[in-house]
Amino acid sequence: MAEAEAEAEAPKPRPRPIVRLGIFLIAHSLLLSVVCCTAGILTLLLLPVLAKNTYISENALMPGSANSMLPGQEVSEANRLVKDLTSLDLKPVGGGIESQRLIAEYMSDLGAEVSYHRFYPQSNQFHPLHFLSYPESGTIRENVSCSLHGLNTVGIIRAPRGDGKEAIVLVTPYNSGKIGPGEALSLGIAYSVFSLLSRVTWLAKDIIWLAADSKYGEYAAVDAWLSDYHMPVFNGLGALNAEMCHGSNILNELKDDSFTERKICDGFRRAGTMAAALVIKVADRSEQFENSLSIYAEASNGQMPNLDLINIVNFLAVHRQGLQTKVEKMWSLLNCKWLKILGEILESLGHVARSLNPQWKFGIPAADYAEGIATLASSLYYQALGVPTGPHGAFRDYQVDAITLEISSGVFSNDKVKQNDFLLRGGRLIEGVIRSVNNLLEKFHQSFFLYLLTSPSKFVSVGVYMIAFALLVAPLPMVAASLYIDAHKLDPSYENDKSTPPASAAEKFGITFRSCKWLNAAKKVFVVHLWGAVVSLLPYFVCQIPSCTPTISFVVWVSLSILSLLILYLILGFPFSYVNASSQSQNRDWALLKSVTISAAFIGLCLMSVINFSTAEIGALLLVPMCLMAQPLKLDVKARILRNFSRVACNLALGFIGFPPAAFFVLKGVFEGFGGISVGYFWNWLETIWAWNSATYLYIGMVHLPCWVLCIHVLFHPC
Amino acid sequence: MKRMQFKMYGSFGSRVVVLLLFLLLGISNCVAQASSSSEATMHTNNWAVLVCTSRFWFNYRHMANTLSLYRTVKRLGIPDERIILMLADDMACNARNKYPAQVFNNENHKLNLYGDNVEVDYRGYEVTVENFLRVLSGRHENGVPRSKRLLSDEGSHILLYMTGHGGDEFLKFQDSEELQSHDLADAVKQMKEKRRFKELLIMVDTCQAATLFSQLQSPGVLTIGSSMKGENSYSHHLDSDVGVSVVDRFTFYTLGFFERLNMYNNASLISLFSSYNPSMLMSTAYYRTDLYQRRLEEVPVTNFFGSVMETIHTDSAYSVLSRKESGGAEIRKSTDKSVHDKKRSLLNSIELDQIIKVNTKDQQGTSKCKWSAFLQEMEKVKDVDTFVNYGLVLIVPLLTASMWLT
Repeated sequence: MAEAEAEAEAPKPRPRPIVRLGIFLIAHSLLLSVVCCTAGILTLLLLPVLAKNTYISENALMPGSANSMLPGQEVSEANRLVKDLTSLDLKPVGGGIESQRLIAEYMSDLGAEVSYHRFYPQSNQFHPLHFLSYPESGTIRENVSCSLHGLNTVGIIRAPRGDGKEAIVLVTPYNSGKIGPGEALSLGIAYSVFSLLSRVTWLAKDIIWLAADSKYGEYAAVDAWLSDYHMPVFNGLGALNAEMCHGSNILNELKDDSFTERKICDGFRRAGTMAAALVIKVADRSEQFENSLSIYAEASNGQMPNLDLINIVNFLAVHRQGLQTKVEKMWSLLNCKWLKILGEILESLGHVARSLNPQWKFGIPAADYAEGIATLASSLYYQALGVPTGPHGAFRDYQVDAITLEISSGVFSNDKVKQNDFLLRGGRLIEGVIRSVNNLLEKFHQSFFLYLLTSPSKFVSVGVYMIAFALLVAPLPMVAASLYIDAHKLDPSYENDKSTPPASAAEKFGITFRSCKWLNAAKKVFVVHLWGAVVSLLPYFVCQIPSCTPTISFVVWVSLSILSLLILYLILGFPFSYVNASSQSQNRDWALLKSVTISAAFIGLCLMSVINFSTAEIGALLLVPMCLMAQPLKLDVKARILRNFSRVACNLALGFIGFPPAAFFVLKGVFEGFGGISVGYFWNWLETIWAWNSATYLYIGMVHLPCWVLCIHVLFHPC
Repeated sequence: MKRMQFKMYGSFGSRVVVLLLFLLLGISNCVAQASSSSEATMHTNNWAVLVCTSRFWFNYRHMANTLSLYRTVKRLGIPDERIILMLADDMACNARNKYPAQVFNNENHKLNLYGDNVEVDYRGYEVTVENFLRVLSGRHENGVPRSKRLLSDEGSHILLYMTGHGGDEFLKFQDSEELQSHDLADAVKQMKEKRRFKELLIMVDTCQAATLFSQLQSPGVLTIGSSMKGENSYSHHLDSDVGVSVVDRFTFYTLGFFERLNMYNNASLISLFSSYNPSMLMSTAYYRTDLYQRRLEEVPVTNFFGSVMETIHTDSAYSVLSRKESGGAEIRKSTDKSVHDKKRSLLNSIELDQIIKVNTKDQQGTSKCKWSAFLQEMEKVKDVDTFVNYGLVLIVPLLTASMWLT
């Protein structure tokens, strides 16, 4: 405002172009916001067209340049292991450690260093301070019960001429209590590769095979092993645990058994830093998915492994093993009418462009477009959720690039030939990936870390997808500034300022009063955000209530939230009371409030886009139109024109969809059908989010919800 | 000429004139000498500097290229002490090598390039632009052993082979620095000034190799690169057993050419240069001859890739003292194939002495030896008569000027 005054008083020096541009944009903020929002949404829809083909960026990898060496002999050995494991399952006599013993036996037969790793599962508790923090080993071992423990089997092959500073990890999660046919096959694949690697001369990195006991969840087992791997316990806690559980009796039992002469290592064995990790799974799917490979890559908070890792796997699977690669997609989107129509429009546009100039190639077939959108939506959703899509997520917490490979096969029959072929293919794929990663000299760094996949071989990099987000949030500061300026133009005392010379007492009061108004709005926004923080912390207390169904928890949470809002309102007091002058001042009041709300939303969204882009993108899609449209309903209703009524309807609809639980249920209903939706789902969904320490939870609690409340407040502002 | 000068001194006695004349003569002398040294110095020995500039496992082929060339030039007769071999990485002992301590340049694995007779002079991180330029220019620190120095002289033919990753007017060394075409040209210029070579063949197998030669100016330099500006040089084939590409196309076809030759073969450079087929190389081999005086058809490849020199036939073994004989030593260019083999002999001692005398000629002295050396030098200037005539003509205006002045 002071600047505006200065400009008005001294017109001689022309303001700099950037200032003039800013003023121009602020003056046309309405047009700007309409254009930018539309462009933002359109760009998002155009992303599958803008996607580029993936390529292997790191020279050192050279996937597929070496012939696969896996012979049939290894496969028959692997077949023996599979048979042993499944027969083990038929006669459950051992104390649940038979399978570990069997795997260890097979590993040590290959000359690998074998060790067991015992871990205790943790309960999913809400820890308010664990968001975005480094996983710690110390704090989570509070309520360990000795009877509940899992036992991982770890085999390490040392590279014969390597320096031992790096390692590649193979993970096969399996349920030691009951080994399914898929799990047995995945162990078989890992074994065949492992036995090959124990003989080769070209290893430069050590190979670790972790047969993770997924009795208490796949992630928990891998995570426990990783945290022990990276955070060695020297005296304190480890000893404590051992004392608590009366020594490692089971480990002793394992060692005293039949193969004492074999070398089972005491303690925790380590290799070098991990270059990459592959989680191998075999899925039990129907025939149509036969010979396909699903890649899961999303880790916590939307972090992705380096694109090169996905590229190698995709390249080797498609071009060497003839597998069909897949990434997750939202199947329900594939059948959408509007997507098909949009795809056809884009396709025909592409044709037109190509007929004009053969160099322009941006059209893609409509079916590809629909697939691309479905994959993109799923990619965005899983990144935004911030929950890892498999055990590979545990590696990302330690900055190790990891993915889960789920190989599907229709062969769980006793068809030996088919099973052999399957094992051979899977083994060769894994061998190729390992050989390629083995060639790596440094960490994966050459390719992208920030990307969205639109198909296994197409990606949208950060530079492109940020445009959609930037266009969406660009109008926010402009509209905030324009509202702020308008609010002051409406102010009659402001007009007085211009005519009378300064330094009169009344004018001074005017200035303080105006800044006071502004501060009041800011205070209100601050209080609501504070309330948002309180709401985010409430589940900690709600969780303490014993034996509670999700529905009850949710209801308790909502009521507590409303209560806390009331309390805050009473304590800090929303300053409705002493602003009851003219309608114009009221008008100014809501405009200022909206301005500050928009600024807060802008800051929140921008911060979130740094932490987890997808959350920010989806949040912006919901929040930006709501914030921009918000206007007191009273004003519109008073005007009684069709246009205003339509605005009322828009506002109400946006206000409804902006409420996080409402948005959740609507989206869930659209994608999965409305049948059997209960309030408890939302609670469960949030529970998973905070269990994984996802920043999305913080975003919902501390940015989205307060902004929604403020917008609703503006909507129902008494003008 | 000196007699003429005395004569003039006697007749006029003008000091200015004498000084002027001294100056003039000095300059003309210098010119004569320079032209004589490049023209008439014999090809006396052969050196090879073989450089692999890139490290890392996936650049296996560059080391294989260099080692193949090393093997070839050794086979064709350049001894190990005259080969400076620079390898930026050790593929043979890389943990990723399926065949430890062996390097192959073909997927048939018939030939182990890293046998027991390989002398690597600069290895690993020693291969830097600095060390490379030091080798070329001969400016070493005191502690550097003779085996790591390029001890060439003005009669040397040097083969400089480089391979690695290049671009427009640069060649990458290791993963951190690069040699620019200016640096190379400067180093070659220094070598020329310091008379470290008679002829230099620079052979480069990188992408856009031709651009590396753009700044060269020194005479006697012949260059060939695997690709033109804007072209890539490709690898020839992949060894799917080792898992890497093992040889580059340009080098592969060069080696193919030399495999058919032995030390006594007389194939000319042009037959090598025209053997590169652009469709096989997938790039255009480029050679620059504007700095090179001889016709490529007349130069056998063994002049650079082997250690084959022209023969000097002398009547007696030692004839240093008799200047008539040394002057009249019969220099025969043996282009005749039939007699070539028989006449092949090592460097003649007379030639060596001649060079020593040329080098020490500048020293002032009145001894007979020096005088004879001077005469000998004069005799080497072919057009001495015309030179004298020009001098006489020049004297006429000088005379008239001095007459007019007095």
